Amino acid sequence: MKIAINGKSLSVPKNLRNALLLDFIRDFAGLRGTKFGCGAGLCGACTVHIDGTAVRSCQTALGEVEGREVTTIEGLAATASPGALHPVQKAWVEVAVPQCGYCQAGQIMSAAALLSRNPNPSSAQVREQMSGNLCRCGTYPRIREAIARAAKEMQDDTR
Amino acid sequence: MTPARRKFITRRGFLVKTGWVAAGLTVTAGLSYPFVRAAMPVMPTLNEPALEDGFAWVQVVPGGTVRFYCPRMEMGQGAPLGLSQVVAEELNVGQQQIECVLPDTDETPPFKMTVGSESISSFFDPVSFGAAHLREALRAVASEKTGLPPGRIKDARGGFLGRDGTRIAYGELVPAGAQVLSLEEVSAPDKTVPRYAVRRKGGYRAIGHGWKHHELEAIVTGRTVYSRDVLVPDMAYGHAVRPPAFGARLQSADTRAAEAMPGVMAVVMDKDIGFLGIVADNPFVLPAAIEALKVNWEVPQGLDQDEIDARLDVDRLRANDDFEHTISEEGDIAAARRSARHRSAARYDTPFASHAIMEPRASVVSVKRNKVEVWCASQDPFFVQRNVAKAIGREIGDVTVRSHRMGGGFGGRVPCQASVEAARLSAAVGRPVRIQWDRAAELQNTYLHPAYSHHIDAGVTREGLISHWEHDFVSSPIVTGQVPSAIAWMLDMTMADFGTKRGGVSPYTMASRRIRFSDIRTALAIGPWRALGAAPNAFAIESMMDELAHKAGIDPLEFRLRNLPGPGHRLAGVLRRVGEISAWGGPAPTGRGRGIACAVYKGETAVAVVAEVRIDHGTEEIQVTKTWCVQDCGLVINPDQVKALIMGNIVWGCGMALKERISIEAGGVEQRNFDTYEILRHRESPDMTIALIDSDAPPVGVGESALAPVAPAIANALFAASGKRIRKLPISYDRVFPEGRS
Repeated sequence: MKIAINGKSLSVPKNLRNALLLDFIRDFAGLRGTKFGCGAGLCGACTVHIDGTAVRSCQTALGEVEGREVTTIEGLAATASPGALHPVQKAWVEVAVPQCGYCQAGQIMSAAALLSRNPNPSSAQVREQMSGNLCRCGTYPRIREAIARAAKEMQDDTR
Repeated sequence: MTPARRKFITRRGFLVKTGWVAAGLTVTAGLSYPFVRAAMPVMPTLNEPALEDGFAWVQVVPGGTVRFYCPRMEMGQGAPLGLSQVVAEELNVGQQQIECVLPDTDETPPFKMTVGSESISSFFDPVSFGAAHLREALRAVASEKTGLPPGRIKDARGGFLGRDGTRIAYGELVPAGAQVLSLEEVSAPDKTVPRYAVRRKGGYRAIGHGWKHHELEAIVTGRTVYSRDVLVPDMAYGHAVRPPAFGARLQSADTRAAEAMPGVMAVVMDKDIGFLGIVADNPFVLPAAIEALKVNWEVPQGLDQDEIDARLDVDRLRANDDFEHTISEEGDIAAARRSARHRSAARYDTPFASHAIMEPRASVVSVKRNKVEVWCASQDPFFVQRNVAKAIGREIGDVTVRSHRMGGGFGGRVPCQASVEAARLSAAVGRPVRIQWDRAAELQNTYLHPAYSHHIDAGVTREGLISHWEHDFVSSPIVTGQVPSAIAWMLDMTMADFGTKRGGVSPYTMASRRIRFSDIRTALAIGPWRALGAAPNAFAIESMMDELAHKAGIDPLEFRLRNLPGPGHRLAGVLRRVGEISAWGGPAPTGRGRGIACAVYKGETAVAVVAEVRIDHGTEEIQVTKTWCVQDCGLVINPDQVKALIMGNIVWGCGMALKERISIEAGGVEQRNFDTYEILRHRESPDMTIALIDSDAPPVGVGESALAPVAPAIANALFAASGKRIRKLPISYDRVFPEGRS
């Protein structure tokens, strides 16, 4: 069984085939940017992309992702045009979204997936579709601002 | 932060010879400080910073970078950023020239736990003082080097200007071979040292600017190492079984099945201290091994929500006229009551609540023969150090705590229980052990914010002035909530918990008042939660202010202004301003209502909030649509960061008003995850307009200051929208409209 994470193919040892994707990413692949928050799909801290779609890695069995492409926060920038940061990450820094920062990898992965399927979301759509990602520090207003900024930059780039 | 540490060398002889010590500069050697074994029991680190403490926190390293050992822990509040700006102001450097470090416990003397929004208000002066001394000591060195008197060595970016305007960079003042220059043992700190952070001709260069945190890029790319992300070579993976109820006692455990599982290294049980833990050589076998443990607990009977509610029932205490503490008593209440034109009496209730930090706590501990290393994230690393030393019977000086950025703190992260658990297991297996709590443990095995019940009887005169204010409330000790019971009874006899009563006396002028309260211990674990008593106390006070204004037929903003000591009061300033930015007094959009509330945090930071709510009868939801907030916190070090904290407090306050509640069942916390302990979600978060008062008064607390007025502003808005007065949190549609749509 093989799983591709950030473009790198990894063989899954036999004894880990029933593991959860989150645990595999963190404790086998050694990528610690994806976070554990609730273990029940309620907070979104563990959000990653599978073939470009946002999923909760704490609710995803490894078997479900066999042969598919997993992207974590560490690999997000490489999915966009060349640069150290994905436009969403860049906007996050410019707006200074993070406070404690722990939930932000999940927020960014959800936001990037949102913008890839809807390049120009309304404020109401952002609120609704980002509601699976909790932030205890209360960065929601700046998340909205950063998503609007990233959306604008991505549209300017494609023009 | 990497486990590899910096090495320091001794060059005192060289320095003495070259006159560096005379200039007040020295090279630090080893950085070991004598530790006094803490008296039992282990207590948090409480010592207030002295001005001279700042000397230990600032250094120059080769190349001229200023290293700042920040004496405040980072939990997202950004205190290390703000204090870096203070250092930069004194030393004339930009952000790139500052290396801000969260110090390990052997890199600085112990400093006070990071609590109470004190990081700027209490540490601004010592940090500025230390950095100013470092600058002047460097100037003295430059003077010796150039032969110019110090008065002719002018400030320049990252250094000085010498003869003919030649630039002397700080890096040139570090002697060859030295690894660090720091202030040490300055025999007579100079109180008159020029302090650029306090006042600067021509304006500030770092203070007041919106610097961004140096870790932002690491955070958004997933490179920041939180305590949960620590990797230590040869690490094993542990779990501690935690009690299912308050006061539960470990009776016995059948550990055979778990011990027989491949990968399980050890099961460690100590019934005397109630510890049961398990260690495996890889993390993937741990869940099944934990499942295989059969544990018997003795759970105290009869502890449930009803019993707790009865103990913290203000009506019960009023019936017996039995309150432990009177915190304000003035005027002739009986006479004042007769002068009241309008009277109002009501009870207000707020529930137990949890911090619900996003990062469930974690730690890695390595117990070795010659040293103990602890990787964790705590508001008080020195407290963790003492707790670990005590748990495994080691000297405090043997233990080094390496601090990480916290994934949320909010008062709930003074202890790091995971460190003590990991230390016990590491001591047992001889390898570093990692412990990671899950969400259920975060909710069920940490201390709680206590429930409050209030009763206020108050009145208004014909002139619209408060005639009398009789306020009784009951809750539990907060600041001393975690003090071991062996000494708690003694404390309770002699003191009123200042956390429980925080904000209990409002700044309004009153002809008469009597404020009493009781802080009653229950079987529940109670401790600090954002703003402590300030939020529940403001909910009662500011709700009653709204009720009085309504009864007297006076606009709620005008009513507050009329009852403040004077138009120059800080609170009057923020009230008027929030009125302006929210266009207060104008008509609210159809179906919406607006409410106002205000509070002064710790007698210092003045905040006013206007909230607008919408009642959606279709979806049966109450939505906070907009908020306006104005804060006066004196000198603002970083306006962007202060606004971010205000946003956070508004979101927190909305959650407090509409969602959060911990309940007790079968002796323990009922909630296990975010489906039952709900915090505010994105779709529920309001739009915000925030303004700060321009001020050069000394900076005061901002981390939790804006929380207190939020919930009452929402409740008051709901009254404006519906005519229904909600006096119990959290507010839900069902509570406002028990009969359904009205």
